Amino acid sequence: MSNPLHARHYADRAVQQTVEVVENVKLAVDTYRVRFRCPDMAQRIVPGQFLMLKLSDLTDPLIGRPLALYDTAASGAGAGDVDAVDVVYLVKGKLTSRLAGFRPGQRLDVWGPLGNGFAQQATDHLIMVAGGIGQTPFVALANEALGRRRYGDMTREVARAGRVTLCYGARRADLLAGIEDFERAGVDVKIATDDGSRGYHGLVTDLLKQTLDEAGEDRRIVCCGPEPMMEAVAGVAAGSGTACQVSLETPMACGIGICFTCVAKIRDIDGEWDYKRTCVDGPVFDAASIVW
Amino acid sequence: MPPSESSPADVDLSVQLGRLALPNPILVASGTFGYAREMEQLVDLDRLGGIIPKTITRLPRPGNAPWRTVEASSGLLNSIGLDNDGIDAFLEHHLPYLARLQSPLIVSIAGRSHDEFVAMAAKLAGFSGIDAVELNISCPNVSGGVDFGTDPELCGKLVAGVRGSCDLPILAKLTPNVTSIASIAEAAAAAGADALSLINTVLGMAVDWRQRRPLLGNVLGGLSGPAIKPIALRCVYQVSQAVDIPLVGIGGIATIDDVMEFLVAGASAVQIGTANYYDPAVSMKLLDQLPAAVASLEATRVASVVGSLQRADAPPAAPPASSAT
Ligand SMILES: Cc1cc2nc3c(=O)[nH]c(=O)nc-3n(C[C@H](O)[C@H](O)[C@H](O)COP(=O)(O)OP(=O)(O)OC[C@H]3O[C@@H](n4cnc5c(N)ncnc54)[C@H](O)[C@@H]3O)c2cc1C
Ligand SMILES: Cc1cc2nc3c(=O)[nH]c(=O)nc-3n(C[C@H](O)[C@H](O)[C@H](O)COP(=O)(O)O)c2cc1C
Ligand code: FES
Repeated sequence: MSNPLHARHYADRAVQQTVEVVENVKLAVDTYRVRFRCPDMAQRIVPGQFLMLKLSDLTDPLIGRPLALYDTAASGAGAGDVDAVDVVYLVKGKLTSRLAGFRPGQRLDVWGPLGNGFAQQATDHLIMVAGGIGQTPFVALANEALGRRRYGDMTREVARAGRVTLCYGARRADLLAGIEDFERAGVDVKIATDDGSRGYHGLVTDLLKQTLDEAGEDRRIVCCGPEPMMEAVAGVAAGSGTACQVSLETPMACGIGICFTCVAKIRDIDGEWDYKRTCVDGPVFDAASIVW
Repeated sequence: MPPSESSPADVDLSVQLGRLALPNPILVASGTFGYAREMEQLVDLDRLGGIIPKTITRLPRPGNAPWRTVEASSGLLNSIGLDNDGIDAFLEHHLPYLARLQSPLIVSIAGRSHDEFVAMAAKLAGFSGIDAVELNISCPNVSGGVDFGTDPELCGKLVAGVRGSCDLPILAKLTPNVTSIASIAEAAAAAGADALSLINTVLGMAVDWRQRRPLLGNVLGGLSGPAIKPIALRCVYQVSQAVDIPLVGIGGIATIDDVMEFLVAGASAVQIGTANYYDPAVSMKLLDQLPAAVASLEATRVASVVGSLQRADAPPAAPPASSAT
């Protein structure tokens, strides 16, 4: 980049389109997977990137919402080619509560792929730590790291992992979504719930510590979830000397770097912090660079 | 003699803002288009009538603490706080890219004092590739800039000072958060502004009653988007009755009907703001639709539509020809 002030991952491969919903299925309590047909995006998007989604022709809600790539798929419309994008969302407020009622054939405005995606780093053991709805960026990453699927440009270099563990924390068992997708990818899934209704009764950081105790030296952590949980995971990672990338879920208004809503305090090499735009400088950051 | 039916292909889109000539009236508003490069994949930047990058200040500003925006009904509240890297970084890192684009470049500046504004404008005058300056005397999110937009005397002095130190065309961007926007506009016009940009955001607030806390990091913020369009139209209309210089309409513009309403009400051009966030290609769609909309009024020039509003008691115009050829 000739311009050191400019983000490295602005929307340089993004498309904006009005797309049709192919399916919208319930995965868990208040959690749905929406699939829409958008061949250009499906062929470009890579794990850790996101897209913006808006309800067409409405001014309330007005602003698009950022949602992570869950996976790409074949809609069935185009000779079996990968032409659709899957997003998994938790019903939270204005937009997602309306989206939950969407049926096949209804239209959405989308733009993407956006953001940097996960850095490619080969490792013996990739440890994914997810809290709440933070598991969504990891299905595609696991598929890629374990050599099951490819995403984006087929000439893109992909870093493999010898094995992948998911430490996944939720409030209750009925909020866990997508576990079969991880198991199908070959991921070793460990679960923690706040109320003990499934898996370990306690915090996901305890699962992470156990996993780190058993893991070999060549390991890496990726993390996504509520901010306090990511901060705790970053602390465990630093304490154990393990490299850690986190995907921030900062609220966004444009997703493409033009509004300066989505800022997070990021340290530069000198240790000075500046507000960086999560949408174009992230959403994935090295955990050690974040000022929590 | 003007043809009775005009063809969209023949419509002259160019408009004149004082000393500044624009190829068409669709501009993008400061703070809602980054530094333009972010948009190069989604927008054909060379087609725009003008680009106004995010406001710059003399020194870098980190901006306000999050939350920086909150959605409102058909609108957006923001308290970004002029997050920018300062004028020197802009000139070094963003200007070379922006200057290469065909679209006119209007650089938006905000100073904390009269002298700072004047010094920044003088500095810009020394660089090529800049077509005009827009004085942001209306940002609700920083203290110390807004007085120029609320006090006619300070506003007039500032415009005169900038005019004396910088030979670029000057746009003054006004705030609606005043009792009489016309009196501020008159002062800016009398002091030599080439055009006025109307409006910046409308001061507002959002509250989380359960937590009993304001939602915006800066407590107060500026409302933008479709919710403020009627206020912006009113400002353009009132100011057009008070001054003779061209106006640039801003506020909630997202559709071709919005654009035409502002032109008819008295704006020579418009700036698209919040709509860029939720429909990044909106400016291109509006440019595609503009010629036919102008032709449907049997006009051959955008400029002849500007300020063509009739009195409320005037007889209704004949419906537009159904098939303009
Ligand atoms: C890169 C990225 C990827 C994401 N991926 C996913 C995903 O895959 N799946 C998923 O379910 N979610 C994901 N999210 C979160 C998702 O964007 C939000 O949950 C969504 O915007 C909610 O929209 P809504 O209209 O339903 O809720 P809203 O009505 O917008 O409100 C949701 C909640 O957020 C709060 N809120 C509103 N505005 C702000 C603000 N400015 N700052 C802080 N809090 C605010 C509200 O109080 C409310 O509690 C992602 C976020 C990011 C940044
Ligand atoms: C997030 C945000 C940031 C803005 N930043 C600036 C700015 O830096 N300088 C400025 O002159 N106006 C700024 N504005 C105001 C817009 O340029 C515009 O005047 C206003 O939003 C009304 O137009 P709209 O309703 O089309 O958005 C900003 C608006 C928003 C929503
Ligand atoms: S969301 Fe607008 S700059 Fe990041």
